[in-house]
Amino acid sequence: MIKELRKKLDTEKVTKEELFEESIKKAKETQKKYNCFVTITDKFKSRASNTLLSGIPYSLKDLYSTSGILTTSSSNILKNYIPVYDSTVYKKLKSAGAVLVGKTVLDELAMGGSGTTGHTGAVKNPHDVTRIAGGSSAGSAASVALGITPFSIGSDTGDSVRKPAAFCGIVGFKPTYGRISRYGMFPFASSLDHVAIFATSVMDCAIVTDVLKGHDKNDMTSLKDDGKAYAETLEKEVKNKKLFYIKEAVSRDAYDEIDANLDIVLNNFDGVLSSVRELGITVDEISIDKALLTAIFPSYMAISCAEATSNNANLNGISFGVREEGNTIEEIMFNSRTKGFSELIKRRFVLGSYILQKENQEKLFLNACRIRRLIVNEINKLFEEYDGFIMPASGGVAPKIGEKTDQLSDKYLILENHLVIGNFGGFPSITVPSGKIERMPIGINITGRVKEDDVVLNIAHQLEKKLKEMV
Amino acid sequence: MIKKEELKKLAEKLMFKMSEEEYETLENEFETIIKQMEKINQLEGISNVEPMTFPFENSGAFLREDEIGDYLTTDEVLSNTKYHLNDQVKVPKVVE
Repeated sequence: MIKELRKKLDTEKVTKEELFEESIKKAKETQKKYNCFVTITDKFKSRASNTLLSGIPYSLKDLYSTSGILTTSSSNILKNYIPVYDSTVYKKLKSAGAVLVGKTVLDELAMGGSGTTGHTGAVKNPHDVTRIAGGSSAGSAASVALGITPFSIGSDTGDSVRKPAAFCGIVGFKPTYGRISRYGMFPFASSLDHVAIFATSVMDCAIVTDVLKGHDKNDMTSLKDDGKAYAETLEKEVKNKKLFYIKEAVSRDAYDEIDANLDIVLNNFDGVLSSVRELGITVDEISIDKALLTAIFPSYMAISCAEATSNNANLNGISFGVREEGNTIEEIMFNSRTKGFSELIKRRFVLGSYILQKENQEKLFLNACRIRRLIVNEINKLFEEYDGFIMPASGGVAPKIGEKTDQLSDKYLILENHLVIGNFGGFPSITVPSGKIERMPIGINITGRVKEDDVVLNIAHQLEKKLKEMV
Repeated sequence: MIKKEELKKLAEKLMFKMSEEEYETLENEFETIIKQMEKINQLEGISNVEPMTFPFENSGAFLREDEIGDYLTTDEVLSNTKYHLNDQVKVPKVVE
């Protein structure tokens, strides 16, 4: 879509201002029904630039620092925070001439997977307003799915871009850890946080990643640029590539009971595998210790909540955040944090703090970090033979708002949460639409070797083309 | 089973208050979480594994040179608070 818009702009069939106005109009028209935005930009701003993104509208998750523009992280504690500096992502997009349409709603402080916990209300799924868009990058996903902007920048700590992409029927790409600088992105769990991109095609994700990637002196975890232009290598031959899938998540034998939704997801997966094989890619079934797989999600919870508790300690009404009244510094902090955080966030912080208590550290936090190493080692060992793995992005369509799931079931612990592997190992990982169950979209995920973002995008692009032929 | 008193102590350390109702939700939530967490400790030989704190070794990561870079002006810093006096952020008296 970006290339089509570029052509229209270059041949003067449309102006940058008209594109912006059209986006703003859609953003405003859909806001009441879907609640994508915390802030809708009212002024057109675009720097002269000759990149592909010049004049292209986009939206930005409301946890990227934007100088002079409200940045709330969808939390009451930051409801009036106006940063005085730009995140590197925003700076690079500005330099490329891309046009910011709005800042999107997320789960409060990015700690959630539903998109329903932001301080300005729940984001609704563009395909069915009674369902979640997925989170935490909910508004970003919905803004692209609704056609408000051709791309959006989210962030992905567990699956916060790749899962909502599946629920909203779009593409979500999380590059290798450190591929894109996180300077100015409010941290949730620093060892797992990634900048990630939503778009309507793999090509558009590649175009945006090409603009954003590279080392940043302000983020010591950012990688040196690999000098590749991902958008230019998507048409490469994928024949003879090798992928695997995890038996314990997608084999029918793994489940005592298969509900109608899961049945369709597994049938869809079989269909996708046929398409992958038609591309000349080998796909093998691999078995991984179930005890290790079911420990991934609790380990993620332990690591992420522990890191988040520490990362958000500066939201105290003095260093950052809305300051409440108090006679002492302690009182100010207590009152500010009591009023500023929602109940859910407080519960997450208590959990994080519990995990970090001296008596629990060894058993919970350090063992979770050990599980992380075991699963990453296991995957890296498989990557000696395989270029990546392919899996359904979720076990069903977007849940209804408020729907409860059995959080102790194997389906929940493995199939619904395996995307976390991409964050544990920093692997590049992408979700592509793979079909629909009734009206609701589902997606397929491909995850590859660290620093081989080009390979993952290449395979995903070829598969995307193949799957479109099928529809 | 985790006790409410223990949760209250943790919230105190984290510097926020929670209502009695919120503690009840938290107690119930902890039950599920603790059951999930038990899965972490079920793997044989887990204690012999080196904990992993970052996704991979980034040999290119280095500390930046200690040079003056971009910095915020006093006005920029103070624009973030309505409580300031003589170019400083104002807080209640710390030392009596």
